[in-house]
Amino acid sequence: MPQEVEKYRKPTRILHWVHMVSFCLLFLTGLVLFIPGLGIIAQDSWTRVIHRIAAAIFIIAPLIYIPLNLKATAKGIKEAFSWGIEDIGWLKAAPRYYFLGDESDMPPQGAMNTGQKLWWLIVLVSSVVFTITGLIMWFAKTTASPAVLQWMVFLHDIAFIGASSMLLLHIYLGVIHPTMTEAWKAIYKGTVSVGYAKKHHAKWYEEVTRRKEVKS
Amino acid sequence: MAEKAILYDATRCTACRGCQAACKQWNENDELIPTEENGVKAANRGSYENPPDLSPRTWVKMEFRETDAGGAVRWLFSRRACMHCTEAACVKVCPSGALYHHELGFVAYDKDICTGCGYCIDACPFNVPRSDRNLITGIAKMDKCTFCTTPGLDRIAQGWEPACVKTCPPKALQYGDRNQLIAEGKKRVESLIARGWANANLYGEKELGGLHVMYVLDDHPAVYGLPVDPQISAATIAWQDVIQPVGWVVGGLTILGLGLNYLVARASANSDKEKKNAARS
Repeated sequence: MPQEVEKYRKPTRILHWVHMVSFCLLFLTGLVLFIPGLGIIAQDSWTRVIHRIAAAIFIIAPLIYIPLNLKATAKGIKEAFSWGIEDIGWLKAAPRYYFLGDESDMPPQGAMNTGQKLWWLIVLVSSVVFTITGLIMWFAKTTASPAVLQWMVFLHDIAFIGASSMLLLHIYLGVIHPTMTEAWKAIYKGTVSVGYAKKHHAKWYEEVTRRKEVKS
Repeated sequence: MAEKAILYDATRCTACRGCQAACKQWNENDELIPTEENGVKAANRGSYENPPDLSPRTWVKMEFRETDAGGAVRWLFSRRACMHCTEAACVKVCPSGALYHHELGFVAYDKDICTGCGYCIDACPFNVPRSDRNLITGIAKMDKCTFCTTPGLDRIAQGWEPACVKTCPPKALQYGDRNQLIAEGKKRVESLIARGWANANLYGEKELGGLHVMYVLDDHPAVYGLPVDPQISAATIAWQDVIQPVGWVVGGLTILGLGLNYLVARASANSDKEKKNAARS
């Protein structure tokens, strides 16, 4: 039996990091607008130029990924919307697990656990909201009515607040949380150890090993 | 310090546009003269109004209106420029603090720190701010009347009146203490009413917390193209007074929660390790 199993394929990992870097640039150059004291570093539009460059990368990256990875895309989107009774069990057990490391009540999870699914759903929905409102503010700035542009900023801000606070949580769980030892490796190298897979994504691990057996 | 203001008396204005020229001259707002040599074809817009609109280099502009007053044509003149509101939507939405209230009450502007976001343009109830904008890069700078307080060109700090007021031949523009100008404006309105202008009014005394440009009008504000009861838009309020504070609370609680989780989770992970070590030894 191999010691490592593949969690994320290479194209998926590349998309993750391209999206991560562009979103962080978008986040920082957008955050400037919430902190009047930082206005001084936003002068002469340059943060807004970076915001546009990062936005172009943010929009184009998945548009390249999707046609090249149709199956993975369809599977991923389906997964974001597949919710069941086990997700409620996860949500109930999550506080004890994430604070005290007590996993006795954790139901077995698929490739994505409930928290990851929730985050993935926020990524999907907020990306669509960011893109639509952002493109209107970008290209219809001089033609759309002032009221439309103002409500676009309003929606952009709601998506910003939701996605950014959850991004902090996402980074925290991947990099800082004491027990999340292999999430980082999964998205960096692409693999997790068998032990980690069994412990954190039992349903997914079963599925993967069954598929392997059928193949061989 | 007592607030200052401009009082514009539409009944005294001759629409000479001296204010437009003086504003451009003092604030160094040269503009391309639209001649055929400059590549601009002459166009008849059916009005003496010129230029056709406010622009980054036209901060004050006279408007001409022809109205039907019981069969007789009235030719009305009105001044178009920043109204310098007390409850200024532009100041509320400006993310960098480039727009701010001057100690004398009007809306001053630090162009250096303008990011070009254009929020003020969309928020202004009077549709006054203008910018040159590159639609692709988004690079822009807003411009509007600064009440002659532009750094380096600050007439107010010198104790002078704004350039437009200084030049006005019929004294349709006056500069002074806001309270005194309100009293003066009301006196003129009374005299207009006494002479049969039943709809005469003083515009700007109460609008948006009090404007720092007030109008003596012989007819309803709408006749002069002024918004009756201007308001800060619902979107501005929802965005600035609801969503932004919510954003700070959500962001703050998230960071607080993560910090708390780190402390608790690390402590319990450490005690688990100790237990395992103890079991081993």
